Amino acid sequence: PPEKPTIIKCRSPEKETFTCWWKPGSDGGHPTNYTLLYSKEGEQQIYECPDYRTAGPNSCYFDKKHTSFWTIYNITVRATNEMGSNVSDPRYVDVTYIVQPDPPVNVTLELKKPINRKTYLVLTWSPPPLADIRSGWLTLEYELRLKPEEGEEWETVFVGQQTQYKMFSLNPGKKYIIQIHCKADHYGLWSEWSPEYYIEIPTDFRVRDM
Amino acid sequence: LPICPNGSVNCQLSLGELFERAVKLSHYIHLLSTEIFNEFDERYAQGRDFIARAVNGCHTASLTTPEDKEQAQQTHHEDLLNLILGVLRSWNDPLIHLASEVQRIKEAPDTILWKAVEIEEKNKRLLEGIQKIIGRFHSGEIGNEVYSQWEGLPSLQLADEDSRLFAFYTLLHCFRRDSNKIDSYLRLLKCRLIHNNNC
Repeated sequence: PPEKPTIIKCRSPEKETFTCWWKPGSDGGHPTNYTLLYSKEGEQQIYECPDYRTAGPNSCYFDKKHTSFWTIYNITVRATNEMGSNVSDPRYVDVTYIVQPDPPVNVTLELKKPINRKTYLVLTWSPPPLADIRSGWLTLEYELRLKPEEGEEWETVFVGQQTQYKMFSLNPGKKYIIQIHCKADHYGLWSEWSPEYYIEIPTDFRVRDM
Repeated sequence: LPICPNGSVNCQLSLGELFERAVKLSHYIHLLSTEIFNEFDERYAQGRDFIARAVNGCHTASLTTPEDKEQAQQTHHEDLLNLILGVLRSWNDPLIHLASEVQRIKEAPDTILWKAVEIEEKNKRLLEGIQKIIGRFHSGEIGNEVYSQWEGLPSLQLADEDSRLFAFYTLLHCFRRDSNKIDSYLRLLKCRLIHNNNC
């Protein structure tokens, strides 16, 4: 029979839906079919995956209608072919704690040169589009990191829930790389980092200005 | 300067200020509940597969509460506040015993001990705050909300260590869940009632 599959990850990008992925075991060259089965805390019934397609191969997508919070899903995947079948170890999931948002978007960098005051860099960004911040259902906190283009060490700054940050301590003539990521505040996983954004600090930007 | 300096008469916090404080407190309680759960899990639960046994283990499971965003958004704010009050009240008793019984766990680190005490105290404060908020909506009797009785004290005092640790694990797992639930509902209500759904 086929080797038992492994459930490798479950993730909710916006605390409204979630997806689980599995890795097949070896199938001995026999065409093998995979079935994801789950039960929910407080219920005896066993359900099958509602949607094997939306999230691509070896995955199961749970839309809003099939997603409940503060309840444990007991999830297994069964591999079946002509030689027999085998079931994965169970994965216990509370969707509340698998929230991993998409990275922030619309990142802008702008150098500000106010008269008689220090010059500074203003970063602004927006929450990932899927995240419903307005209703209060999801609250995100952000962290940014930067380093000189040729540098090795990232400097990381936790900025809480704000979507703007001012930076004063940049060196004239240097080019910097900046990225931002986010997570549901105090639970879940950090998103991937945003793409890298570059900013070059002009050389006429005298140290005294800083 | 405190909004309501001591001795001031008829000084009332705005509803917005009450919600601001309630959300801050529920946020802090959930943070503590996550930390104490993770710490207990790392120190006492590794390899024991407690999560599989904790399913269906929460004493508050009998309280019907919204399970997703749509359900929560469709729940009237007074009903949601009463649900929050019911969940908080359901935790009064177990948190008192958690704070005392946790002292008896073998080599329980101070960080677990003080967090248990802090959670119990803060949960009481939040309950009082929610009562104040409810009081702003109607002057009727508060305290008739549905809550769930906890009968788990004997299990925290079992002689068999595995069973006793499992009882603590279940309690901490369930409290982390319920404190997240309360935090989520309060944020929704704050955005709905104070910020016109535009947080």
